[in-house]
Amino acid sequence: MDREFSPSRRGFLLAGSALAALGAGRSSRAQSPAAMSEHEKALFDAAKAEGGELTWYTAHSDDITAQALGRAFEAAYPGIKVNVLRTTAQVAYQRITQEIKADSIQCDVFSSTDLGHYVELKAKGEFAKYVPDNAGKVLDIYKNYDPDGYYHVTSAGLIMIGYNTGKVKEADAPKNWTDLLDPKWKDQIALGHPGFSGYVGTWALTLRKQYGWDFFEKLAKNNPRVGRSINDTVTMLNAGECMIAGSGPVGTLLDSAKKGNPLALSAPADGSVLIIAPSGIMKKSQHPNAAKLYMEFLLSVEASKIWLAHFNETMRPEVSPAPGIPQAKELKIIRPTVEEITKGVPEVIKQWRNTFGV
Amino acid sequence: MSVALTRDHQAGGVRRISRFDPSLLLWLALIAVLAFLVLNPLLRLILSSFQEADTGRLTLANYLAAYGNVRHLEALANSLELGAGVAILATIFGVPLAWAISRTDMPAKGFVRLMAFAAFITPPYLGAVGWILLAGPNSGWLNKLWMGLTGSAHGVFNVYSMTGLILVVAVTSFPYTFLFTNAALDLVSSEMEDAARVLGAGTLRMTFRITLPMVAPAILGGAIISFLEAISLFGAPALIALPARFNVVSTQLWQFFEYPVRVEEAAAFAMPLLLITLLMFWVQRAILGRKGYATVTGKGGERRMIPLGGWRWVMLGYSLLVCALSVFLPMFVLIQAAFAKAWGRGISLQNLTLGNFHYLLFEQTQAKQTILNTFLYAGITAFAVIFLALSIAYVVSRKLVPWSDALAFLCMAPFVIPGIVLAIGFYAAYTAAPFALYGSATILILAFVTRFLPIAYTSSASGLKSINPEMEEAVRILGGSRLTAIRKVLVPLIKKSIAGAWILVFIPATRELSSAIFLVGPHTRVISVMLFDLSEEGNFEVLSALGVILLVATLVIAAIGFKVIGRDFMLRRT
Repeated sequence: MDREFSPSRRGFLLAGSALAALGAGRSSRAQSPAAMSEHEKALFDAAKAEGGELTWYTAHSDDITAQALGRAFEAAYPGIKVNVLRTTAQVAYQRITQEIKADSIQCDVFSSTDLGHYVELKAKGEFAKYVPDNAGKVLDIYKNYDPDGYYHVTSAGLIMIGYNTGKVKEADAPKNWTDLLDPKWKDQIALGHPGFSGYVGTWALTLRKQYGWDFFEKLAKNNPRVGRSINDTVTMLNAGECMIAGSGPVGTLLDSAKKGNPLALSAPADGSVLIIAPSGIMKKSQHPNAAKLYMEFLLSVEASKIWLAHFNETMRPEVSPAPGIPQAKELKIIRPTVEEITKGVPEVIKQWRNTFGV
Repeated sequence: MSVALTRDHQAGGVRRISRFDPSLLLWLALIAVLAFLVLNPLLRLILSSFQEADTGRLTLANYLAAYGNVRHLEALANSLELGAGVAILATIFGVPLAWAISRTDMPAKGFVRLMAFAAFITPPYLGAVGWILLAGPNSGWLNKLWMGLTGSAHGVFNVYSMTGLILVVAVTSFPYTFLFTNAALDLVSSEMEDAARVLGAGTLRMTFRITLPMVAPAILGGAIISFLEAISLFGAPALIALPARFNVVSTQLWQFFEYPVRVEEAAAFAMPLLLITLLMFWVQRAILGRKGYATVTGKGGERRMIPLGGWRWVMLGYSLLVCALSVFLPMFVLIQAAFAKAWGRGISLQNLTLGNFHYLLFEQTQAKQTILNTFLYAGITAFAVIFLALSIAYVVSRKLVPWSDALAFLCMAPFVIPGIVLAIGFYAAYTAAPFALYGSATILILAFVTRFLPIAYTSSASGLKSINPEMEEAVRILGGSRLTAIRKVLVPLIKKSIAGAWILVFIPATRELSSAIFLVGPHTRVISVMLFDLSEEGNFEVLSALGVILLVATLVIAAIGFKVIGRDFMLRRT
């Protein structure tokens, strides 16, 4: 159905009115204890008692969105401080494996974008089992990713093709992933790096499944700019250094466009890539109750409003995005399975290094 | 105490203890500290390069894995090219400026010095971001200007290249050659130059045959530091080399630390860098050999400026060019971005905002703590490392213990342990029990102390080298102990060097990235790591704002420091 978008919708150029509606998620107030469920209140009290603090490693979004979530949590549960550390997925994973090795776990809630990390950490017994009350209230597609309850999907985002509207006319923009191979985009495509970004890892894996690795061999001939985070591609577009974000993170692109940068999106005909990103509580967390409360929060309506305000997917059915904002349920989606990701991402990183040299 | 002992000594006291110079205990303590900071992590590094990951059995497999890949070898070659290029370019930038300021009547010296200082406090990764905006092949301001002027369809500069990386690193590291050379030139009196003049030498001949050779240790020291710094940098290569699609040793090492972490392979891959240090030392010694370079003798000497005539404007032009490359241009684009709503929109009133600063100071959960941490750790590091370096430099220069050259090597070795590897060495050595320092400020500060030991040591050693031991010997002949000689004679003489060394450490410590990146915990983040995390994503406005905060705060603290010691940033009396 993405192919049926009217030109103005396909470009997702944002009208001011649509934006005004999105401010809603930002105002979160302290919940009166009465508004909290009993379970929540018990966690809240226990969290305060254990030090009133937690540390969140997240690769789920850009820093601005991550900070907005942290602040909203602090506002909802006054007295509990959140240390928000936003990095790429592989960097977050590197840090957590270091902490595990040093037997000094600093992280309480771990939010990577590489599903393989969860399979691995769960197998090693590094996660604490916890099924949030809110886990049953999310959209069906996000339920029960781990039947054992060690991790839960807490965010999702789309990858499409982004472009700089100052340099590329909508009619000329790539309409499908394979259009990226057109020689006219030589030196003009920005990509993230699967060795850093969990989003890019899954994206590369998805396209490998779709077109074979040959696709990337050909893409390399167009001499793309390889950055690190998937969000790096947005920097390249804003600078005018590249015209096309080959792996375009929808949330960050639209957030940046909202700030006035000349950006737009194109939904590839073969399908946009949907990234499902879970969170888990570390078994040796020093703030287990704050961590549980945070898991509840990440799956709350409040958090979903913030995700939407920053153009990511909602977890909860109660809220929906403003019209014109791309949502997974309205698009053709391609997505690998958990097994494919666990096995495939490390392979893709290796292949990537051989093909692109870095 | 010392006086009594010395009297015993003079009296030919029978008690053996009296022959024992008490300062020896201090030296032994220092050696223990050095063993803790450098030797232990270093030995662990070397040992693990020969060990199997899980069993700890000896093996050469790590070397086979580390060097059995063409890309890895290319990375090594790239690092050497980068280091050599930076050392040469930094010398070309730094030495003429130092000479012009120290020895000639070039105008606007104060301004040029200020700009060299500004270049010094600019972290390479921040400079790299600026240069990406200036010389991005499609979008760089310079390229746009070129295309506008010539009507050409393509720009001429490409920051995403080895040349680009060399330039970016050189413009932030030329202050080393500049500062070292300038400090040394300031100590050289005009007597020798006068002699050359009397014998009929022109300015050029005199400069190249007399003046510059006299400060050769400083120039070489600066070039070596630029070289070593360049090959161990991580941030700027991550920003430039990755998009340019080549690896250097540091970015390659990063890959060894990805999951599954292969510390052992990384250790094997880091070995050539240690060999390079050894080689550098050997080269330095071979070149400088047995020549004496004591230029401060306790005797008077006069320094006069060389009149350059019309050439002084040429020198000024060159100086301003260097300043433009290192400061004006990158700073201009960074400041523009820091105050922009969206930097892609260029300069206009509608695009102006303080929102990025507001975000950092009021919305970001980490930024304030991060900023405080940065300056606190840098300050503590600077004090600790100066004390250590000076003590060791003294031991070495006065040959108080056997194998003192080995101490010198240990002090210099950290420079070629790329920060990432140093961090892993520290991680391996001190995060587990009994130290259990993971995520603490202590481990960061210790790593910083180790990392900046070479800078502190180099400047301490060159400061000491210029002091003829005859002045201390005078104290000792008159019955003073070694500690008295140090306190009463040496320290006052080299106060300037000490203060300078403090600044030389403090500033890079505020911007240190590569050793911090694996050692920070959630509560001990520093600005460099936060900038690095921000640089991964499309959040350039906030990154620039944080960079501006870092630069302004560093400037203020350094200015206060200079005020307190009564010197300007080149350590001249004000």
